[in-house]
Amino acid sequence: MEPLLKELREKIVDILDLVDVRPDDIDPDARLVGGELGIDSIDVLEMVMMVEKDYGVKIDNREVGVKVFATLRALGEHIRQNAPELRG
Amino acid sequence: MTDKRVYIAGFGIISALGTGSTETLEALASGRSGLAPISRFRPPAGDPLPVGQIQEIDAGKTMPATHRLAQIAAAPILTAGGPPPDAVVVGTTTGGMAATEPLLRAGIEDPEAYRWHGAATVAADLARRFRCTGPVLTVSTACSSGAAPAALGAALIRSGRAARVLAGGADSLCRLTYYGFLSLQLIDPNGARPLDRDRKGMSVAEGAAMMMLTAGDGNPDAEILGAGLSCDAWHPTAPHPEGDGALSAMKAALNQAGLSTGDIDYVNLHGTGTIDNDLSEALAVRALFSEKLPALSSVKGATGHSLAASGAVEAVVSALAIRHGLLPANTGCRLADPALALFPLKTPKRASVRAVLSNAFGFGGSNAAVVIAQPDRFSPPRAAEHPPLRIASCACVTGAGATDATLKKLHAAGSCAGVLDEEILCRGLPPRLIRRLRRLPRLALSLAAEAAGDARPEGVFFGTGWGALSETDRFLTRLFESDEKYPSPTDFVGSVHNAPAGQIAQFFGARGPNLTLTGENDAFEQALLAAELICAGQNGPVLVVGADEAHPRLSPLFDPASAAQAADGGGALLVERAGSGPIVSLRFLSGDGGAAGAVDKLIDALGGDGAGARFGAVLAGIPAGNKTAARAQLDKVATACRFAGPVFDYRQWIGQFATASAAAAAMACRWIGQGRIPPALCAGAEGFDDGRGLLLLGLGDSISAVEIFPG
Repeated sequence: MEPLLKELREKIVDILDLVDVRPDDIDPDARLVGGELGIDSIDVLEMVMMVEKDYGVKIDNREVGVKVFATLRALGEHIRQNAPELRG
Repeated sequence: MTDKRVYIAGFGIISALGTGSTETLEALASGRSGLAPISRFRPPAGDPLPVGQIQEIDAGKTMPATHRLAQIAAAPILTAGGPPPDAVVVGTTTGGMAATEPLLRAGIEDPEAYRWHGAATVAADLARRFRCTGPVLTVSTACSSGAAPAALGAALIRSGRAARVLAGGADSLCRLTYYGFLSLQLIDPNGARPLDRDRKGMSVAEGAAMMMLTAGDGNPDAEILGAGLSCDAWHPTAPHPEGDGALSAMKAALNQAGLSTGDIDYVNLHGTGTIDNDLSEALAVRALFSEKLPALSSVKGATGHSLAASGAVEAVVSALAIRHGLLPANTGCRLADPALALFPLKTPKRASVRAVLSNAFGFGGSNAAVVIAQPDRFSPPRAAEHPPLRIASCACVTGAGATDATLKKLHAAGSCAGVLDEEILCRGLPPRLIRRLRRLPRLALSLAAEAAGDARPEGVFFGTGWGALSETDRFLTRLFESDEKYPSPTDFVGSVHNAPAGQIAQFFGARGPNLTLTGENDAFEQALLAAELICAGQNGPVLVVGADEAHPRLSPLFDPASAAQAADGGGALLVERAGSGPIVSLRFLSGDGGAAGAVDKLIDALGGDGAGARFGAVLAGIPAGNKTAARAQLDKVATACRFAGPVFDYRQWIGQFATASAAAAAMACRWIGQGRIPPALCAGAEGFDDGRGLLLLGLGDSISAVEIFPG
């Protein structure tokens, strides 16, 4: 799980242009969206694309999205359970 | 100024429901939907989504679909004859994008292939067909673009600047919007179901509608009584959760119309079918009408959401409702969402309609509402005189830097043309604010921040020749590289022409009118005219901004003459109706400087023979692509007005970009304060600290005259 979280941290900072955030600043258990990082709903959709493109995991409804993007760890967990390459 | 009526005297319409009034009425009376899976292009992945597509607009024609849709909508008006319109105002967002996408994908590098790319070419094409030699305005405020032309057209007539205005909107299906809205998860895979409990989003569509607005009588179909514009200043895409912006636009429209809520018999909702739009619009409508809701419906379950066309399509649907006593059904809605408590019309209804309130809202929080009524049924709206616009402060950006750096270099006779380093450009802007923004919104924000200083502008009028090229290029590049699988929502949101104006509004909390206009060389002048017409600045200052970015790949394709030397920048004026600052006014604007008599009309507008004595200097905008004609126009104006003073050919010094005149206007404002322009820049420059002003001439394909006089 930790390597996946590290990878996600780096990707998120990169694709969202989080200029004043270092990957290590993202606490895996802190609120990911709407919190101190400044990540908003458009960023969530950008992360949806990344998760689908890089891990083959589709997140296409709002209810699921709210749970998945609650924290970095929740996102990692969702990917781990659903990614074809990481499952099993 | 007198109380003037503005009539809709003829219109045309094309949508997924059909072509012309008869087909549209039949479809509306049957309550059928025109939505069907897209076949214009085949998405490589996933099922083709339902869209509002028009079958007969197939590929292989010389002009892009948006232009052809606009022509078809305008055809009945053109056929009806009558004198040419004094102005053309068209809303569009995609312009020639549907044709541009395959060209870019194929790597075509011939600029000629992109000649119809620009959003402004849709209105320019109509103006040519109608032989209009007056202002040609293109509004690009995303999904409210089609309603704003009714507001601007009516204001042109009420102000006495025009007696006849061709106003409307057009947009065609293209990959940018199809995949853009999909990436925002705003598409209902089952087709749009506005106001339905289980709605999941909108259906993208295409269409066009055009109206001839007149001050005269005859046998008009309807009357435009009022319009209201506002901005949420809340979020780039999501509407204000309480519908505050929508409510203030509707209130402003009713107020201008002089009507009360009880006079409205039908509300044509924006009603896209997205969860958030329908919810915020419902809150706004209920706040406005309270318990006494009129009949209401959204037609977007039938037509789809034709984006910049939709406001115009629905204005015509409203006129049809009035003329034929037919209230359209809220097609697609099976079980009305109890949370909205709106009770939309489930089936079409026959009833007499005195007045309609028609809504159109868009990205960037830009809102428009229009009141359309039976002709002569109500009193005409009261006309009001407005004091002139005065410049409270100004700013410019060129390759040399911001205002002070630019002026310093110019005073030393150094060229400012170039592309300013992003780091210098963004100095002073909060990093988090601009992290997702590319060059054009950064330019616009930096201009707005310098011009506004500590002031709190209430509205924004933005002009741009080419819009956000970086975002557009990034979006399409990633779309094509991923075989249309992974479009970027961020880049889509940023790619709309009005995204920078939305950012400015959000930065300042500017909840008044927010309009973006576009044109190849007169976008800033269009924005200034819009600010004058919308009577902005009464409740506080407004920003009039012009900016363009130089893009290494797209600028040479879209604007080859200007791109020979990469240069960009812009200017901003903070204007108000009070104070003692310099007075700025747009004296003349014509979309066709080559038309017979156009330059003569400009000369007349300036005061004709001897008018040159009023000016200390002329700042002449001579575009690289049309130098010979522009110089001839300049000579003609100078001779006729007997102007013998210095002429500053500013584009040579600050760069050939579409909105260079915005930067020139900001410089002119500074020089007015100093009573002289730098002698190093042009022969014969001397002090004019005697009440004389500066004249900004826009020359070439479109011509304009902007005067700035000491306050």
